[in-house]
Amino acid sequence: MNAFDAEGMYFKRFSRWKIIFILLAMALILTITFAVAMGPMQIPPLDVYKIIIKHIPFLGDFVGGGSSSTEEVIVLQVRLPRVLAAAIVGIALAVAGVVLQGLLRNPMADPYVIGISSGAGLGASLAIAFGFGLSFFGVLYSIPLMAFAFALGTVLLVYVISRTGQGVPMLTLLLVGIAVNSFLLAIISIIRLVSGEAVHAIMAWIFGSLAASNWNYVKMALPFVVIGVAIIYVFARDLNIMLLGEEQARHLGVDAERLKKIMIASATLITAAAVSISGIIGFIGLIIPHISRILVGPDHRILIPSSALGGAIVLILCDTIGRMIVRPAELPVGIITSLLGVPFFIYLIRKKKRSVIWQG
Amino acid sequence: MVTLKISGIDCYYGSVKALENVTFSVGEGEFVGILGPNGSGKTTLLKAINTTLKPKVGSVFLDNINIYDMESREVAKKVAVVPQETTVTFDFTALDVVLMGRNPYISRFGIESKEDLAVAKKAMELTNTWKLAERPVNELSGGEKQLVVIARALTQEPKVLLLDEPTVHLDIGNQLEIMELLKELCIKNSLIVLAVFHDFNLAARYCDSAILLRNGKIFSIGKVDKVLTEENINKVFNVNVIVKKHPITDALYILPISTSHEVTSTKNLRLHVICGGGVGTPIIKKLHRDGYYITAGVLNLLDTDYETCAMLKIPTVSEAPFSPITNDAHKKNLDMIDEADVVILSNACFGYGNFKNIESAIHAIEKGKTVIALEETPIQQRDFTKGEATALYEELKRKGALITKNCQEAIFMLRKLEHEFSKA
Repeated sequence: MNAFDAEGMYFKRFSRWKIIFILLAMALILTITFAVAMGPMQIPPLDVYKIIIKHIPFLGDFVGGGSSSTEEVIVLQVRLPRVLAAAIVGIALAVAGVVLQGLLRNPMADPYVIGISSGAGLGASLAIAFGFGLSFFGVLYSIPLMAFAFALGTVLLVYVISRTGQGVPMLTLLLVGIAVNSFLLAIISIIRLVSGEAVHAIMAWIFGSLAASNWNYVKMALPFVVIGVAIIYVFARDLNIMLLGEEQARHLGVDAERLKKIMIASATLITAAAVSISGIIGFIGLIIPHISRILVGPDHRILIPSSALGGAIVLILCDTIGRMIVRPAELPVGIITSLLGVPFFIYLIRKKKRSVIWQG
Repeated sequence: MVTLKISGIDCYYGSVKALENVTFSVGEGEFVGILGPNGSGKTTLLKAINTTLKPKVGSVFLDNINIYDMESREVAKKVAVVPQETTVTFDFTALDVVLMGRNPYISRFGIESKEDLAVAKKAMELTNTWKLAERPVNELSGGEKQLVVIARALTQEPKVLLLDEPTVHLDIGNQLEIMELLKELCIKNSLIVLAVFHDFNLAARYCDSAILLRNGKIFSIGKVDKVLTEENINKVFNVNVIVKKHPITDALYILPISTSHEVTSTKNLRLHVICGGGVGTPIIKKLHRDGYYITAGVLNLLDTDYETCAMLKIPTVSEAPFSPITNDAHKKNLDMIDEADVVILSNACFGYGNFKNIESAIHAIEKGKTVIALEETPIQQRDFTKGEATALYEELKRKGALITKNCQEAIFMLRKLEHEFSKA
């Protein structure tokens, strides 16, 4: 390898990152278009753009008609909110996965592993079952807020149980997380049964489903995910340094304790927002960060944006597949992510052990 | 002139006191080794200086500024730490890791500038790691990785460099390379270098001064040759060592001999070995290991056999270096022989200087002692007295000395004697 141009190579990476980001953003737009076009009623992609632009203030005036009102309803009221919800959930889960893997220095970590998702699920279920109403601008924010509060509570509980005099051993944290997860999932099922929900709806929720998405869901989750991801991105360089271990990070001027708190709170926030609208979707938070790391490298400054976009693309595709393959019924997206995610993940582990497996 | 001043610090882990009233100061360009047994507070001292463990009493001052009043990023610009080992989760390149050292200089929303890269490049060139810049750090060897971590520390442009056993996982070549480098950096970059060592010899060779810790307190501090003395090391580590000045490196070297627990004799026979010129060393070592109580004489100081005996704490009758045996020493030797049960005459050369040693063997056999003569080479070839020694040797044989051609056989003979002796 030519080391003498290492400087040049180093600065090239920043432009490479920009190109990666732009390509992924374009891919996301294409994916959204494709997903909105696909369905029992195929809508030509160009019409999809026309319909969307038509309803954007000012821009709409420049686009002529031509689409039927049925198509408009399908695009604007049914498919678009669902696809956007998938994108938001995909972004949230993938970024939370990146953060937790980096922070815990453990490739097994994902948003579920330390109890965030089940805590969020419990909060969301309570809010739905007992109908706490807390809305701003007509959007019911009590669900994501309750989800966030319970998720944070669960994380704290897991943390406190795992703590020993010497700190928090990673293995204990993971084991306690798994145990608390199972326990809370049982309680969630009870609450939903008691509140009269059909068993298949509960199952759909536990597997994770986007079938019920509407614009309110999008509005409910979006602000939390945007804020959480923004906070996380601000600390991207600190996350890199944390990969040297907490102590060395401290020696390099990183306030490790504060960073851990901010990162766990942010990851909890975005996961809670995702869980509020989609239930518990597995595997996105685990595999998207790994795939991204293989493709763009371990630097969080590019890893976070590419995981976010990658998570959105993959979740939209999985949801579209779920909608299409057993028509007229549909498979919850969580089943698709597991069906496709597990074999792909195993393939990756076997193919490129070095990168996927934790350098212990 | 930057000084690091540690002023009366007490450090605790919970309620356990790890450091007590530690006070010293170090100036720039000084390379200080911190030594002491496990648990004596070496690493704790580094932690107190790098603000990881705040002292309950006292504080640490850099240039008269209390470092506990400084922002963590400011501390990171002044104090850099090199740990024993670094594991990096996921595949960062060596350059990535070195650039992380610039973190305290880059603002939250900034990216690495050309200047940052120039600093990193310079540090990597100094540590001879620039050629590794593009390699994933986890694929580097232990030595290369440690050099990269040192480059990262230099990239912080620190005043103080703290190292916790920086060479402990490395092979001897890498150890020396890193120590040479640290020494050079210390002088060239006017760094204050504090490093924890377990290896006395590395510390003695490269450090200007040393701090010897015991139970969280400074036991001794000062120039290396004042701190690393046989007495201090024995008191702190409970081991016997020999401290010498090395003729080539001109540094102290420290040779551990044994733990302070005396080797107790397990055998009943008491042996006296007549040797000199190093020929006695192999058999003395074997007998010592077998647990015999051994004496030796007459030996000149600086003789290899003498040093063996000194190391093993074997009582010897000694004579001044390169001098013939005096009557006085000869007399003492005979007294020692009288105390012994078996006398071993090693395969020594005899000249006029040590002629008395062969006489003392005759004395032994006349006193009724068992004499074993080790004859690896014929006496004629070892005789530098124109036949006088040979004559005495022949007399010794006639009087019933046991003759053996090798060391192993002598040991078998002794075992047999020991067996008979114990029965009687």
